[in-house]
Amino acid sequence: MKLIYFLTVYLLLVLTAAAQINLSGRITDTKGHPLPGANVFLQGTYDGANTDSTGTFRFTTSRKDTATLLVSYIGYESYTKKIHTNTTAPFIIQLTEAANELNTVVITAGSFEASDEKRMTMLKPMDIVTTAGANADITATMNLLPGTQRVGEQTGLFVRGGSGEEAKVVIDGMIVQNPYFSSMPDVQSRGRFQPFMFKGTSFSTGGYSAQYGQALSSVLLLNTTDKTQNEGISLSLNLANAGISYDHATDKSSISATGSYGNLKPLFALVHQNIDWTHVPEFGGSSLTYRLQPSKTGLLKFYGMYSDSKLGLNFIDPSNETGKTALQQHNRNFFTTSTYTDNWADGRWLLNAGLSYSFDVDATTYNGIDFGRSSERWQGRAVLTRLLPANNSLLFGAEAHAITMKNTVQGINYVLHDNYGALFIESQTYLGRNLAIQLGLRGEYSSILNRANLAPRLSMAYKTGLYSQVSLAYGQFYQTPDYRYLYLNRSLDFERADHLILNYQIIKNKRTFRAEAFYKNYAQLVREFTGQPGMPTQYDANPYRFPWGRTNNGGHGYAQGFDVFWRDQKTVKGLDYWVSYSYVDTKRLFQQFSVAATPTFISNHNISVITKRYFEKISTNLALTYTLSSGRPYYNPNRLEEGDKGFLADRTPVVNNLSFSASHITRIRKNLVVIYASADNLLNTKNVFTYRFTADGKTRYAVGPQSYRSFFVGGIVMLSKKAKVNVNEL
Amino acid sequence: MKTILILIITALAAQPSAWAQSDQYKQAMKQAITTMQSRNEQSPIADMQTSANQFERIASAEPKEWLPRYYAGLNYVYLGFMGKDEAAKDKYLDQADVNLKAAETIAPDNDELAVLKAYIAQARMVVDPMNRWQQYGPLFQAGIDKAKSLNPNNPRPYALEGSSLMYTPDQFGGGPTTACPVLKQAVEKFATFKPTSDLSPLWGQKQIEPLMAKCK
Repeated sequence: MKLIYFLTVYLLLVLTAAAQINLSGRITDTKGHPLPGANVFLQGTYDGANTDSTGTFRFTTSRKDTATLLVSYIGYESYTKKIHTNTTAPFIIQLTEAANELNTVVITAGSFEASDEKRMTMLKPMDIVTTAGANADITATMNLLPGTQRVGEQTGLFVRGGSGEEAKVVIDGMIVQNPYFSSMPDVQSRGRFQPFMFKGTSFSTGGYSAQYGQALSSVLLLNTTDKTQNEGISLSLNLANAGISYDHATDKSSISATGSYGNLKPLFALVHQNIDWTHVPEFGGSSLTYRLQPSKTGLLKFYGMYSDSKLGLNFIDPSNETGKTALQQHNRNFFTTSTYTDNWADGRWLLNAGLSYSFDVDATTYNGIDFGRSSERWQGRAVLTRLLPANNSLLFGAEAHAITMKNTVQGINYVLHDNYGALFIESQTYLGRNLAIQLGLRGEYSSILNRANLAPRLSMAYKTGLYSQVSLAYGQFYQTPDYRYLYLNRSLDFERADHLILNYQIIKNKRTFRAEAFYKNYAQLVREFTGQPGMPTQYDANPYRFPWGRTNNGGHGYAQGFDVFWRDQKTVKGLDYWVSYSYVDTKRLFQQFSVAATPTFISNHNISVITKRYFEKISTNLALTYTLSSGRPYYNPNRLEEGDKGFLADRTPVVNNLSFSASHITRIRKNLVVIYASADNLLNTKNVFTYRFTADGKTRYAVGPQSYRSFFVGGIVMLSKKAKVNVNEL
Repeated sequence: MKTILILIITALAAQPSAWAQSDQYKQAMKQAITTMQSRNEQSPIADMQTSANQFERIASAEPKEWLPRYYAGLNYVYLGFMGKDEAAKDKYLDQADVNLKAAETIAPDNDELAVLKAYIAQARMVVDPMNRWQQYGPLFQAGIDKAKSLNPNNPRPYALEGSSLMYTPDQFGGGPTTACPVLKQAVEKFATFKPTSDLSPLWGQKQIEPLMAKCK
C-alpha cells in the first residue's frame, strides 16, 4: 500500500507541476483599436492563441516561472516581452505599425519615379511603350510629363527653363555621353536605348541627389534589368527597321544579344517628308548584355553596344545664298558599361561600382566642308551605402571621368581633354515616419577649367495625411560649360543653377494628384561677345554656328513656374489616363544675348493628355495622346531697330498634336506575334516650331516637323514556345 | 493491483516529459493540417490567418523542422490571393517570404520549398500582372525548374505550372494546348508519388481535377 501512497503523491505532484496557468489579454494598435487575428504565444512552446474580433486572447500554459511572450500581426512590428507566467493580470499590448510605403514619407520634390519595385509609382516602363505619340522612346515619353517643354526640332530633355544640354542621361549611375542618335539640323533624334532594357526609370525635374552632377536642370536615371525576360529568338520588322534578338538565361547568368538594320526608305515612300533627304537615314546596330550572379548577393552586369548610321539632307539655311545647306553625316557610336553590385552584413552595407567607356565619331560635312567631331569618355564610379535602423542611411562615393573631345571647324582641328572627378556624401534621416530629411554635399573638380566647386543639396518631406505629403528640395548644381566654348577659352568657370522646389502630392486608390512650384536661379552662364571690344554684339540666329566670339561667365537668369499632374487608373475600369500642365516663366542673359530674354526653346504653357485602354476580348491596346504647347520666341531681324525690346519678342503659333497607337497580340503556328500601328498628328496640323530669316530679313522660312500626319506599322514574332510577352511590350 | 496499474499508467501519462517531443509535434501538425485542409477559397480570411498563426507557433517551438514554416508560408500565399487590396496582398506575401526564408535555412535545396517559392512569385504577379510579369514571371519559372530538377517525381511543380498556363490567355503562350501536356504529367506523377511522411505536402491533385476536364 506504500506503493499506492507513493504513486498518488507522485501523481499529485506531477499534476500540480503541469497545472495549467491561464494567460489572457488584449492586443490593439497604438490608437487602441483591436487587432483581430494577431498571433500570441510563448516563444519555443506550443502554447498560444489568436486574438478574437475584439483583440482578446486567452490560452493556458504549463510553463512555470518565466517565458517570452511574442505577439505578431501582419503589417505591425512584432512584440516580445519576458513575462512571469504567474502573472494573473491580463496583458494589454499595443503594436506599432511597421514602416511601409503607405505610412512612411518619401522625398518626392523634383523626382518622378517610374520603377517596378515600389508601389508608390506614377509611371512604369510599360507606360513608356504604350503611350501614343512617344513611339516607345524614353525621352519622348518624359517630354509628356510635367515640368518639361516640347521642342519639336531639337533633341534632348528641356526641363523647367533649361536647355537640352542641361539634362543628363544616367544608366546604372554612369553618365551616357551620347544618349541620342546624332542630332541633325531641325530634326529631333531618338534615344539610343530601348525602354525594356530598364527595370526602372526615375526622372528628376530638379533638386536631385548629390550622387549626380554635371546637369543644371535634370537627370534621367535608368536602371537596367537584372535578368532577361524572354527566352529564344525573336524577329521584328517594321517600316523602318528589321531586327533579331536572342535571349538565354541559366540559373546564375543570362545573356541577351540584338542586331538590327534600319532604312527609312519604305517609311518615306509612304509618308510625305518635309525634309529634302539626299541620303535616306540608314543604320545598323548590335548590342550584347551579360549578367552574372557570382555569389548569393553579388551581381555583375555588362552591356555593350555599337551602332553605325549614315544620312544626308539639304536643310534650310537662310545664311546661304541657295537657301539650303547640304549635310552628310556618318556616325559611329560605341558604348559599354559594366557594373557590380553587392551587399554585406545582411544587406546593411551596399556597394555599387561601375566602369564605362564610350566613343562617338561624327563624320560630318556641311556643303562638303569638314565639320567632323568625336568624343571619348572613360568613367569609373563607386558608391558605398550603409543602411541604418529605421530607414536611415548614409552613402558616400566617388567618380572619375577622362573625356576627350575633338571638333573640326572649316579645316581647323580643336582638341581638348578634361579630367573630371567628384566626391559626394549623402545622408537620409527619418524623424519618425512622418518627416524625412536628406542632406548631401558634392565636390567636383575639372582639369580643363582647373577649378573645383562644392554643391550642397537638401531635400525633405513631411507626411500630411495617410495618402498625402509635402516635400521641399533645395540644391546647387554645377555644369562644365559646353565644350565648344572651351576650345577657345580655358579660363571659363562652371555654370551654376540653384533650385528651390515645393511639392504636394496625394496618391489614393490608383489616383494621383501632384502639384509642384519651383524657382531656379542661373548664375555664371557663359556669354559670348561677337563684336569688337566696346562694340555691340551682332546676334547670329544660325543654330549651327560655331561660337568663335570672346566668352566670359557673366551670364545669369531665372526660371519660375509650377506644374500639376493628375492620373487616374480607377474611375473607368481598364482606362488609364493622365493630364499634365506646366507653366514656366524664364529669362536669361547668356550666349550671344545682349539683354535678358526668354530663350527660343521655351514655351510658357505645355499641356498633355494621355489615355490608354486594353481591350481584353480582342487582345488589343489602344492609346490616344494630345499635346499642346504655346508659342516660342524666335529671332526677327526686322525688329533690330527696336533695340532690346525687339529681341526675341515674336512668338510662333501654338503647336498641337493628336496621336494614336494600337497593338494587337496573337499566335501564328504557336509563335507569339505582336502587331502594332500608330498614327502621329492625326489632324494633319501644319505645326511650326520656329522661323528663320534670310540675311536681308525679307524672307521668312518656317521650320516644322519632319512630316505632318504620319503612319507606322510593324510586328514582332517570338520563335520560341517559351516566349512570354505582354501585350504592351512594343 | 489494478489500482496500482492504473495509477502507474496515469502517472506516466500525466508526466509532460513522458510525451515524446516528436509526438507532440506530430499531433500538433496533424491537427493543424486537418484544420487547414478543411478550408477553401471561400473560407473567411480570419480562418486562414488562424491556420497560418498555428503553424508559426509550431515553428517557434520546433526550430529544426521546416514543415511548419512551409505550411505557414503556404497559408500566406493563399492569403495573398485573398487580400482585399494590393497593399494587403503584398503584406501577406512578405510574410510568406519570411517563412520561406526560415524554411530554406533549415532545409536548403528542398523541392517543396522551390515549389513554394514559385507559388509566391505567381501570387506576386497576380497582384498586378500588367506591371509585374516581367519581374516575377522568370522567378516563377526558376522555382518550377529548380523543383523539377531537385525531385523529378514530385507532381506539384507540374500541377502549379500547368494550372498557371491554363489561366494564361492563348495569345500569351498559355491555354489548354500548352497547359494540358503539363497537367497530364502532373496526373501521372500523382499516381505514383509517395509522400515521405504523413505530414508531407499533399495539395495539387484535387486542384487540377477541374482543369483536367478542359483537357479532353
